[in-house]
Amino acid sequence: MSKYLDQSILELHEQLKKKEIRPIDLVEEAFERIEANSDLNCFITLNKEEAIRQAKALEEKEVDQPLFGIPIAIKDNISTKGLRTTCASKMLENYVPIFDATVIEKIKEKNMIIIGKTNMDEFAMGSTSRTSYFGAPKNPWNRSRITGGSSGGSAACVSARLVPLALGSDTGGSIRQPAGYTGIVGMKPTYGRISRHGLVAFASSLDQIGTFSRDTYENALLLNILVGKDERDLTSADRVEEDFTREVGKDIQGMKIGIPNYFVSDIVAPEIREKFDEVVEMLKQQGATIDYIDIDYIENAVTLYQIIAMGEASSNLARFDGVRYGYSYPHPESIEDLYRKTRKEGFGKEVKRRIMVGSYLLSGDNAKIYCDKAFQIRDDILKSFKKAFETYDLIIGPTTTTVAYSLEENLDDPLKSFMDDVLVIPVNMAGLPGMNVPIGFNSDHMPIGMHIIGNLFDEAKMYRLSSFIEKQLQLSLVPEEGGNNE
Amino acid sequence: MSEYQITAGTEVHCELKSNTKMFSDSYNRFGTLANTNINAIDLAYPGTLPTINRYAVELALKACLAFHCTIHKEMYFDRKNYFYPDLPKGYQITQARTPIGVNGYVEIEVGGVKKKIGIHDIHIEEDTCKSTHFKNQTYLDFNRCGVPLIEIVSEPDMKSDQEVILYLEKLREILFYTNVSDCKIEEGSMRCDVNVSVSKTEKLGTRTETKNLGSIHSCGAVVLAEAKRQIELLEQGKEIHEETRRYDEKKNETVLMRVKETGNDYRYFPEPNIPPLVLTDAYIEEVRSKMELLPDERRRLYLEKGVSPVHADKIIQNKPLSDFLIGLEDIDLVIASNLLLGDISSYLNKTEKQLSDTKITQERFRVLVNKLAMKEITNKVFKDILIDLMETDADIDAIIQAKGIETISDESSLLEVIRQVIADHFESVDDFKAGKDRAVKFLMGQIMKETNGKANPSLANELLLKELSQR
Repeated sequence: MSKYLDQSILELHEQLKKKEIRPIDLVEEAFERIEANSDLNCFITLNKEEAIRQAKALEEKEVDQPLFGIPIAIKDNISTKGLRTTCASKMLENYVPIFDATVIEKIKEKNMIIIGKTNMDEFAMGSTSRTSYFGAPKNPWNRSRITGGSSGGSAACVSARLVPLALGSDTGGSIRQPAGYTGIVGMKPTYGRISRHGLVAFASSLDQIGTFSRDTYENALLLNILVGKDERDLTSADRVEEDFTREVGKDIQGMKIGIPNYFVSDIVAPEIREKFDEVVEMLKQQGATIDYIDIDYIENAVTLYQIIAMGEASSNLARFDGVRYGYSYPHPESIEDLYRKTRKEGFGKEVKRRIMVGSYLLSGDNAKIYCDKAFQIRDDILKSFKKAFETYDLIIGPTTTTVAYSLEENLDDPLKSFMDDVLVIPVNMAGLPGMNVPIGFNSDHMPIGMHIIGNLFDEAKMYRLSSFIEKQLQLSLVPEEGGNNE
Repeated sequence: MSEYQITAGTEVHCELKSNTKMFSDSYNRFGTLANTNINAIDLAYPGTLPTINRYAVELALKACLAFHCTIHKEMYFDRKNYFYPDLPKGYQITQARTPIGVNGYVEIEVGGVKKKIGIHDIHIEEDTCKSTHFKNQTYLDFNRCGVPLIEIVSEPDMKSDQEVILYLEKLREILFYTNVSDCKIEEGSMRCDVNVSVSKTEKLGTRTETKNLGSIHSCGAVVLAEAKRQIELLEQGKEIHEETRRYDEKKNETVLMRVKETGNDYRYFPEPNIPPLVLTDAYIEEVRSKMELLPDERRRLYLEKGVSPVHADKIIQNKPLSDFLIGLEDIDLVIASNLLLGDISSYLNKTEKQLSDTKITQERFRVLVNKLAMKEITNKVFKDILIDLMETDADIDAIIQAKGIETISDESSLLEVIRQVIADHFESVDDFKAGKDRAVKFLMGQIMKETNGKANPSLANELLLKELSQR
């Protein structure tokens, strides 16, 4: 079997440019690897025919930039024209979009090759990818464990080196947490950095598309082509163009870093805290100033998240009514019957739970009691973060409280699922950018990640720290073939 | 026993006359083939997001300015959540917290007395799609889905059917004149709901809402029908319930649709996909400065210029005619309105033309009216040259000459005719001496008849008076 996909994107780019390899070589290898690892269940739909056709067509074109001809996987809640987009739900099992998301247009414009649509929690609701209608994906480091979620398939396929890059979405940690669990780099950029046009909405005021990669530099390369104002998304940010790779590899001498006390409190497993502390020591030695700080209300972020995310979700998912697209109950007796049975049969348990809780939270006086309050505290969290960023360049903590656990664990505890994201959710509340960078392994050789939080639109600085950590730690981040089964 | 007092308020939905929809760029068109003006946003495909139609916001702002509203300079949009097949997203985007305009009014005249009807608020929202029920099936046309609307909510300030009708007519007139809406009730671009209650005291009674009325006249009829029904119930010692009703035009009575549930739960919350929209003072002033003269301002001008109230109203009702007079305020508007409403309107009707389809420019019209005012030509001459005026570019004098219509301005020939007419109608001289103006008009008419309308009217008039005073 060829090993092109173990090489860096820049190495591949050089060979593509010199015509030593062709895009089809990469595409064929990606599909070979996917087939060999089909038990990982990373993909819901493969785009094989079209990917091969596209790869062949690219042979006629000039290799103009590093992402030319590079395979990429797309989370299955991002709309791809003509390619089934299920959101891992029975509701959209046979839904084929009629338009491309803005990010997909950009990816196609750069002649990247879409390999397939990745597995996830149903409508991105979950933290383990186990709510998928198509079964849970598995962690390449240990196939009896969860990938995390909701972007579990995207994280796992990059971690297992099936593809070098993937897109995910992050509403309450859904990129950073699975990146942490699978030992890869995952970036959730500032809210508004990347157009949400074409991202199937879960909680619109929190949702953000982001990037998975094997290392920091490649993550920045991908982010470069995705950002920008989009007339079709009024919440997208109008920013001057910038090169996110520009600070990769720079040193951190004089960098000021804050660690919120809550992030290193006893909610975090000891072996994760140990690993984190080791890296903090290293950063100090390398010239960073590190202080322990307090950010107001971050301990309430999960509660706020539940109110805002479920409230918005209950409205966003109202459109799945069986009338225009998606699953439709075949023999309704009335319009109410159509709604009731389509939604009862089309949605899974977790999605229905969240719709019900969300509807309750918006009903009558509850909207005032819960939602208005939640919006207020959310503003306060951002204010507190902003104040910290007056002093500190970046804020860090562990990405998760534990390493990836067994696929059989916590299945009956819907609340536990939210606690997997307790360290990453505050970032969504504030609209800040956050990323995971691997910092080592626990005693079971499961990956541990560091969470880096930047000020609004400060992604480049975050990449600087994460690339520095990569360089210092020189971790071996390729899971053994087959994983180390317990 | 004191009398029952009727109290009424209205909610008017008005489709804005924009080219595209409120939150998507598909066309806003009435009468096209079903489901042709639609896109993925209108159909609420997963992943679609709303955009804002700035022009529709401008139209809504114009309406607010015309109705003297206070403007919410920082506006938010909200979601109103409910399930219905005509609502593809499962929610309607509206403005619950910050309607674009609040606290406005419309002035009406009731029996010669001016009265202000308060406008509680004007908010922007999107229309639903149109469902048609046929043989146990429901068919959906999404062309209307997402069409920009404003909802104009009045205060309960109206005390009779007449006030409701006057208010709605004035509302429609202003919306039409500001180009905000074409206000075609029959096409559904203006839809009215009427709230009615009755009470013998200062405290308002329980109100009912009658929805989707087909004409302004029906709105008036509903006020009377509902008041009658409510009074009968009260007289029987029964209670009025808050409910939604519809109007049966044939029976002239309202029919119960549904009892209002307590706390109709629309689960309102802020629309996260639309950031707050800020209307700057400069922008508001720019829009204000672009607004055309409002109908009441035009009406005031016509009346000042001596146009009869009936003619003033008729001109206002025909906006192209009223627009034609803009910039012609210095001419004799009495003559101008007579011409426009008389022969010119007949010509337009007969030929099925618009004023803008003809060759009568404002400049030529000015010359024409001035000639008539100066009595350089007679009405008869005008009638003779009307078609040429409308259909050729020729100069008015040239038309008159070419048609061989020449006025007799020769004093001696005119005097000859005048003396003959006086001799033939000697009784008119007595009338004249008795102070009857009519006599002069009658004699002038005879002179015109004798000369086939060719007598120079002002000269003939002058000579006639001279002759009469010598008798």
